[in-house]
Amino acid sequence: MSTFGALNTAYRGLTAAQQGMNVAGQNIANAATEGYTRQRVQQSAIGAPAPGMFTSGTVQTGQGVSVDAIARLGSSVLDASVRSASAQAGYAGMRSTALQGIEGILQEPGDNGISAALQGFWSAWQGAANQPSEDGPKGLLLNAANSLTNKISSAYQSLQGQWSSVRAQASDAVDAVNAAASQVAAYNATIRSTLNAGGNANELIDARAKLTDTISRLAGGTVREQPDRTVDVHIGGNALVMGTSVRELELSGSQAGDALGATVQLLWKNPPGVASSDGGEIAGALSVLAPAASGGAIAAAAESYNKLAGALATAVNAVHRTGETGTGATNADFFSLSATGPAALGIKAPTSTDDIALKAQNSGALDTGIADQISQLGTGAASPDKIWSGIVTGIGVQSRGAQQAEALTSAAQASAVTGRASQASVSLDEENVNLLTNQHAYQAAARVMTAVDEALDVLINRTGLVGR
Amino acid sequence: MLNRVTNLTMNLAAQRTLQTQQAKLAELQDKATSLNKISRPSDDPAATAQALATRSLQAANAQYGRNIDDGNTWLTAADSALEQATNVMRRVKDLAVMAGNDALPQSGKDAIALELKSLNQDLVSIANSKHLGRNIFAGNSDADVSFSNTVPPTYNGTGISAVERRISATQTVRVDADGEEIFGNGAGSVFAAVQSIADTLTGGSAPGVAQLTKLDDGFKNIVNGRAEIGTRQAQLERAGNLNTEMEASLDAQRTGIEKADLGSVIMDLKLQETNYQVALAATAKVLQPTLMDFLR
Repeated sequence: MSTFGALNTAYRGLTAAQQGMNVAGQNIANAATEGYTRQRVQQSAIGAPAPGMFTSGTVQTGQGVSVDAIARLGSSVLDASVRSASAQAGYAGMRSTALQGIEGILQEPGDNGISAALQGFWSAWQGAANQPSEDGPKGLLLNAANSLTNKISSAYQSLQGQWSSVRAQASDAVDAVNAAASQVAAYNATIRSTLNAGGNANELIDARAKLTDTISRLAGGTVREQPDRTVDVHIGGNALVMGTSVRELELSGSQAGDALGATVQLLWKNPPGVASSDGGEIAGALSVLAPAASGGAIAAAAESYNKLAGALATAVNAVHRTGETGTGATNADFFSLSATGPAALGIKAPTSTDDIALKAQNSGALDTGIADQISQLGTGAASPDKIWSGIVTGIGVQSRGAQQAEALTSAAQASAVTGRASQASVSLDEENVNLLTNQHAYQAAARVMTAVDEALDVLINRTGLVGR
Repeated sequence: MLNRVTNLTMNLAAQRTLQTQQAKLAELQDKATSLNKISRPSDDPAATAQALATRSLQAANAQYGRNIDDGNTWLTAADSALEQATNVMRRVKDLAVMAGNDALPQSGKDAIALELKSLNQDLVSIANSKHLGRNIFAGNSDADVSFSNTVPPTYNGTGISAVERRISATQTVRVDADGEEIFGNGAGSVFAAVQSIADTLTGGSAPGVAQLTKLDDGFKNIVNGRAEIGTRQAQLERAGNLNTEMEASLDAQRTGIEKADLGSVIMDLKLQETNYQVALAATAKVLQPTLMDFLR
């Protein structure tokens, strides 16, 4: 062992303790930073040099401490569980929001819903029947009919609006995924070059992990770490990010060109292809946007409004045709349906009280047999009221299921996030202890240096002075 | 894996607990202010279906109630018309009996004939009574009068359906009266019978037995008609009572389905308030100290 070996050992101790304090400082400074993963100094003891030819016989100590790396204490397993949980939570959350929106449009049970309008409509027929010679009750009947058809068509329009807004959200989410993907690719490049140059990329990796979380929440997908510390992001089995290259996503059709009932798909841009999504908000949005035949909730609700409008018109008209209107016309429809477009928007009540048939054909002028028959249409087993109640219950059940799924998945997400935080987050107590340990280590290393210095002083300045 | 607890995980847990407690509190507050158990179908889909059915029964019941009230006014009008008719007929009968007295001089017979004619006119105008502008005794006909002003008067509602009011989902009640059955038509009418007696008197002879029998029959028909109206009024009254009871029971039913119990909601709310305050206090205690508080 050389004379100054101990000095060098003490110096290594000083720098290691200083690094330890630096890292503790960095951890404490970022205790509240979102996505920050705690770091540790990895150090190891340097062993004694191998015995040389003339050194046998003396036992040698080690040569101090070496700072090997600053480790990032993340766990890829926990990261993956957060990503998969947030993909599911994103999917369920999107569906639940959309279904609650549909439910809100129903306005049931309440005084403003379609069921109240239906009841008002049936009652109005009896009201008109009580005073067949007066125009007032007939006017009220037309009013009730118009309020019913208006409610059906305005609910249908609300659904159209909701469809467009969900599509816009999905489109925004796709843009956000593309932006995040290109940032991930950029980080991949930086991280690779930093690590190749021997640098520390912990903070860059944190930032990249935040981006991959965002991608998972929006589009699901899996993240694969590569040996060069870059990550590949796969969606539906195809690479969104591979190393530094990005394959962007897009939605089929256009926001302006698509409307309720259209099929919206997630597509790869270049080279083109159909992307299958793995969950996440985009998949949730696409599932509610789908056409009714494929189980799309909005289109199915719109379809049921059409069914209601059709059933209402058929039931009322079937009886109304057997009557005679105020102008003497027979075989006349009450509700008219437009030949094109959805029935919910095309259903119209007559405009004149003369077009109402209260009386049966060939009966007294003030007969009200038809009005009475129509007023009882709401009570049958296949009545519009029953159809409507079925629709409301169906949507209620669906929405309830979606809300439960949302509660479940968001609880799972919360627990995954807590699990990751418990591994990766900064504990101030721990850092304080580390700080203290390193502080003491620094002081002690300095003491060692002083001791060696004093010993050398004795050797250099006080020896060889006998008899002087 | 033993969970490592850090300031961040404690913060996260505290935030989540407070958030859940606060959400529960908000939900209960909403419930307590609106007292609605079901504010959206998804709160309870099965109960929503029941609520819709009950609401629709209520609306129908309310309309039946209005129909019953309207029917009552019709029957009351018919009843009072027939009451007047009965009074007139009573006088007619008195006069007919009086005219049967052989000792009556021609001048007396003429006077009776004159009164009978005017009573007959009263009778026709009673038979033409209207309710809210509509003939009571001519069914669903829109003729100006039930009996045309000819001699003898002819009925205008032959073969025309009756005025009916729906009093329940399964029942309708006739609220007018059949003019032909009560007053007869043309030569067979009670008007013709009175007229023929008056004519006989003017001709100088006493009314015959056949004529008096006809008069009696006419009288009987009017009384019978009135009795029938009475039974229908009773039927409407029963239906009205049922309707009111039904209204109350449907209301109770709907309240049971849609409305929350105030007492239990208030209790839940109070409990939740306490829970929330406890959570706040515990959080405040737990989040404060770190090792720094104890180092020099």
